[in-house]
Amino acid sequence: MSDRALHIENLGKRYPTGVEALRDVSLDVEGGEFFGLLGPNGAGKSTLIHCATGLAQPTSGTIRVFGHDAIGDYGEARQLVGLAPQEINLDWFLTVEETLDYHAGYFGMPKRERRERARELIETFSLTEKRDERTRTLSGGMKRRLVLARALMHKPRLLILDEPTAGVDIELRLELWHYVRRINDEGTTILLTTHYIEEAEQLCDKIAFINEGQIVAQGSSAELSATYGVTGLEDAYLTLVGRKELSRSVIQELAS
Amino acid sequence: MTAAQIRFLTLSRREVNRFMKIKKQTIGAPLLETFLYISVFGAALGSRIDKLHGIDYVVFVIPGLIMMAWAINAFSNNASSILQQKFQGAIQDQLSSPASPLELLLAFSLGGFMRGLVVAVLTFIAASILVDLPVDHILILLPGLFLVGFFFAQLGVLIGVRAEQFDDVAIAQTFVLQPLIFLGGVFYSASLLPEPFQTLTHFNPVYYMIALVRYGFLGYSEANVALSLLFLTLATAALFAFNLRLFSRGYKLRA
Repeated sequence: MSDRALHIENLGKRYPTGVEALRDVSLDVEGGEFFGLLGPNGAGKSTLIHCATGLAQPTSGTIRVFGHDAIGDYGEARQLVGLAPQEINLDWFLTVEETLDYHAGYFGMPKRERRERARELIETFSLTEKRDERTRTLSGGMKRRLVLARALMHKPRLLILDEPTAGVDIELRLELWHYVRRINDEGTTILLTTHYIEEAEQLCDKIAFINEGQIVAQGSSAELSATYGVTGLEDAYLTLVGRKELSRSVIQELAS
Repeated sequence: MTAAQIRFLTLSRREVNRFMKIKKQTIGAPLLETFLYISVFGAALGSRIDKLHGIDYVVFVIPGLIMMAWAINAFSNNASSILQQKFQGAIQDQLSSPASPLELLLAFSLGGFMRGLVVAVLTFIAASILVDLPVDHILILLPGLFLVGFFFAQLGVLIGVRAEQFDDVAIAQTFVLQPLIFLGGVFYSASLLPEPFQTLTHFNPVYYMIALVRYGFLGYSEANVALSLLFLTLATAALFAFNLRLFSRGYKLRA
């Protein structure tokens, strides 16, 4: 099995509407890495993730997950990936525990192992009191925690987090940061998309900027700042999206 | 148990669990509806209607009602379940799993098939208590009913996958399915119809399904039993192949 967690080559995705969401995207995420994908709304972040998890079908290019072709050998590839999507997509008919149990069942995990794993994650994500409640009765923060717990149920080697902290309060955001950092330390590769520059800076070893369906730059936070000739990741990002005038340094200058 | 077996069992369990959790609506309501039909058309009106082909009217309609219950429940369960999961986005959980298109299609089909089976069996038991309902050709009846259930389960999957709003399912059920079933001869013998309706009925595929099931119960058929069975087998296989192709292409399921 290849140690490269994700290998994307010349990936293209054109929707039937004619929208070209991804254009010749090539990207490598090494095993054990914490990789960030940053870009404005509509840049192609979610499409890229959906292509890697089978929720969207690429029009061209190849995707390999730990060496397994995500299209031709999708069974093996998907087994190794856990996805926590941007939109909460919980099943209203299921309880918290059932949500986790069914998910692991879809990935072929035996009953006893499912029970143990569900118990462990329910505890870790402080959902014990709600384990028998239907998902629609949960608060927004609980739903977000459950989505993450579900992605982890089948012990994926590559965890994909699509804007996991969008709309959550500060405590939960920090809690999630602690948790994902811990599982990264334990060896799980993480691909994170986010709008929060601070989140990417805090967590990611490597970051790629995606804009208009193309990877325009990648490297560490310091490397990206150097690429754009600025002092921080936020300014590098603002340069990318052509909004340098919004830089905090410019605003501070104006204020003084 | 292998990983593939666990996966298929879980996918199917999710579909059965869904309708069992709301069984008042998914089992209770259709049972009540079937009993109302039996009461009105069988007991109340039936006493004023002569025997049809030597069979009491109430006994004549019950096989058609059992078939109708299985068909409509198989259809509406699958169409609703898939559309609901698409709406919630919850279907992504199954779609991003290692499950193959065949496993997904079979599991989604099984939910409605099982719900139809439960309603049909309960209707049969209750009807057998109320009237003397014969089972003349069980070897035709069982495959006939299973094929009808599977055909409508497939049709439900197809409509669920294609549908973009709940109206789409309701329209298919109210304006296509129910007229075809009602006009297929659940409540009457097509031979009693004046022309051109008698001939037109022969173009209704449900007519042959009802004829088949009625033959299985009562030993009486207006249509050629062997041909009906063959036609139903071919139609079910074709619809299944079509659905499998849609699932393999990810039609309206994968972007």
